[in-house]
Amino acid sequence: MSRIRLGASAVALSCVILGGVSAPALAEQSGRINVALGAESTTMDPARYSAGVDQYYVGTMFEMLLKPMPDGTIANWLAESWSIDETNPDKPIIDVHIRPGVTFHNGDPLTAADFEFSYQRQSDPNVSRWSHYQSNVERFEIVDDLHFRLHFKQPDSSYVANYLQLWAMPKDYFQEVGDEAFGRHPIGTGPWKFVSRRVKEELLLEAHDDYWNEEHRPEAKELRIRIIPEDLTRVAALQTGEVDWIDAVPPAMLEDIKSLDGIATATMPAGNHLFLDMDTIPEGPLQNVKVRQAIAHGVDMDAIIESVLFGQGQRYAQVAEGATGYNPDLEPYDYDPAKAMQLLAEAGYPQGFDIDCYNLITPREPNIKEMGEAMFAYLGTIGVRCKVVNMEYGAWINLGRRDEQTEQLNGGLISWMWGQGVPGDPAIAWGGHLHSYEPGKGWGSYSHVDDPEFDRMIEDAAKIMEPEARTAALREIGARKHELVLGGLTTYQPLVTMAWNDAKVSYTPWPYPGFWRNFQEIGLKSAD
Amino acid sequence: MTQFVLRRVLQGLFSILGASLIIFVITRLSGDPVVLMLPPEAPEALVQQMRERLGLHLPVWQQYLVFLGDALTGDFGTSYRWDMPVRDLIFERLPATIYLASAALAFSLVLSIPFGVISAVRRGSWFDRFAKTVAMLGQAMPNFWVGLLLILVFSIHLEWMPAFGADTPAHVIMPAIALGWYPVAAQTRIVRSAMLDVLESDYIRMGRSVGVPEGVLVWKYAFRNAAVPLVTMMGVYFASMLGGAFVVEVVFAWPGLGRTVVEALFARDFPVVQAGVLFAAIMFVIANLLVDLSYGLIDPRIRHDR
Repeated sequence: MSRIRLGASAVALSCVILGGVSAPALAEQSGRINVALGAESTTMDPARYSAGVDQYYVGTMFEMLLKPMPDGTIANWLAESWSIDETNPDKPIIDVHIRPGVTFHNGDPLTAADFEFSYQRQSDPNVSRWSHYQSNVERFEIVDDLHFRLHFKQPDSSYVANYLQLWAMPKDYFQEVGDEAFGRHPIGTGPWKFVSRRVKEELLLEAHDDYWNEEHRPEAKELRIRIIPEDLTRVAALQTGEVDWIDAVPPAMLEDIKSLDGIATATMPAGNHLFLDMDTIPEGPLQNVKVRQAIAHGVDMDAIIESVLFGQGQRYAQVAEGATGYNPDLEPYDYDPAKAMQLLAEAGYPQGFDIDCYNLITPREPNIKEMGEAMFAYLGTIGVRCKVVNMEYGAWINLGRRDEQTEQLNGGLISWMWGQGVPGDPAIAWGGHLHSYEPGKGWGSYSHVDDPEFDRMIEDAAKIMEPEARTAALREIGARKHELVLGGLTTYQPLVTMAWNDAKVSYTPWPYPGFWRNFQEIGLKSAD
Repeated sequence: MTQFVLRRVLQGLFSILGASLIIFVITRLSGDPVVLMLPPEAPEALVQQMRERLGLHLPVWQQYLVFLGDALTGDFGTSYRWDMPVRDLIFERLPATIYLASAALAFSLVLSIPFGVISAVRRGSWFDRFAKTVAMLGQAMPNFWVGLLLILVFSIHLEWMPAFGADTPAHVIMPAIALGWYPVAAQTRIVRSAMLDVLESDYIRMGRSVGVPEGVLVWKYAFRNAAVPLVTMMGVYFASMLGGAFVVEVVFAWPGLGRTVVEALFARDFPVVQAGVLFAAIMFVIANLLVDLSYGLIDPRIRHDR
């Protein structure tokens, strides 16, 4: 029997703070802060969210059981404590004690029944697009008002990695107003409560007076979130004082912004992880490990990041620092064109070869088209001659998908991405692009690898819920993946910069993409 | 007249139906929206379940009939991306777009009418050259660039104008200029050449000879006759501004329909794209119908019942 008590486990933080960061030191909530975001959530209902951008709004009003903290630890948040009972290792149980005294915005106390209700909504495929994340939970047991257990059919490591998955949703309020009204006027336990929303324009929030966390809470009375999709306009709005805080400063303008008086910035890694994927399924050069290693040595990523991204990217080797499975012994491949050409010659391609190289041009990340073009141009210098095919997002994702109905890569290269998150966990991403394709099981839906050893390792790791053992298993996969350059050559994580009026606003960055726009700790230095 | 209107309405309905069919088929050719809606690791069973929930498993012709049937009752479905009724999404955005397009059209007319008329009256003068230059600048500069330039000058440096949003009447000024400057050149040319023709006509010469003041001749008699081609062009430009304000809407964070539809296009949000195109087609038809009807008001010699 092993019963593991988990408190706040330390996780290293991969964060670069470039500007002045002010600690909130305000006594009372007052005034309004205007912020501008480049993208907008499509929903305010945590059970219905479909993409990372949805957490911009959801995370201001709703909370989970665990939360990554600014200092890099994972804190028990709405969970006062929790543990994994592995008495039966094939059917583990997660036992959760809820923090007492937490209330929803309407004053209702948070209870286990609310989490049971959340579990039901989040596991319903007619409601949630992530219902498969609950598929390993066999049943939800309420022990008492502040205590519940999740009984698993089989071990599920991603459940722990994703902060115990469940969002706190108010059962009584939902049943009173119904699904649609809940989506229009959401109520959670978070630091901000809903006031009004105009789609494509703004979300107006008010501080939750009875918020449970006295230490980490906003110090402003109102928060007005404006949506400004154009980068330059967003920056202009900060310069003119129409807004006090903006996200996603475009890389090309970063130096200008940093040189302005009274503007503070914070730069943090995004949760997205980019890589150059290689189709190793059909006969061709990419089946040869030396060719893949040659490609890895043939691209000067540091130079590309510096010149194309203005330094707004950071390299990683399989797993970013701070994420589960991070291996400090792994270093990104160094740029060594001579070695690359030697490896190509050893692989039987002394004169190089021609290859299709697919490039995403829809700006899912800053300058993504130019980044791909630069990488493919570098490959040309070692003899890997790319026929570059630029693609918009819809066509690009179709091409990468392993599906009988879609065209395949034909042994080519493709610039690809798969978020591992921050602090991050690579297991789900690797299950998608490193595990072999298995129709109907969710494995390898975007994989161009067929390696039974990786399949075994990934499936084993998916069942390990205990963090240390899991870290070891993921490191082993990462090391092998790195050496064989399979499932993609890892290239960089984009960096994202927030900027704010430092004379007016006090802001503590929470350096995780899911939380940096939640405004957990923001206030006015002098109330308007 | 009634017959003419009925005939044009019927033609318009066919145009709208044709546009709806084309956009319906084209959206289906763009790929599977479910792939973009679900996380990449979602099992195939969930993908299939989602397709069935959205009705995407049905043959395209059947999907189209369902869409048409629902549209006739005012139901344009639910946005895949926003999970809200498309009708709400479109109707909430439409007034902002109509407001912006109207302001842009007004701006373009405020410039192009005096430019065209005075250029014709003072042909070859410095004003003629000045008007041509201003008008051509609008056509030569992309509207997103004009927009950013306006923000730089009037918001950041002079601090006269708000940089974004749609909160007050002042907010529409810069987007209207960015959107409305482009047609100024074409409209000025049309007015100028029509005025040159009219000013050479016998009745103007007769008016001059009997001592009708020049201002009255130009603005009351000549311009009225020269306005018919301008009205035709206005109709077309107004309709295309309704559907084509996307770039300006993005630059100024204007909460309009164009931005909504183009974003929906990238997300393969079929119901929003279909409804957006349908509304744009309806706007085109209405604008053209109004233009046709206005001819009779401007020039009583034009009668539709002949």
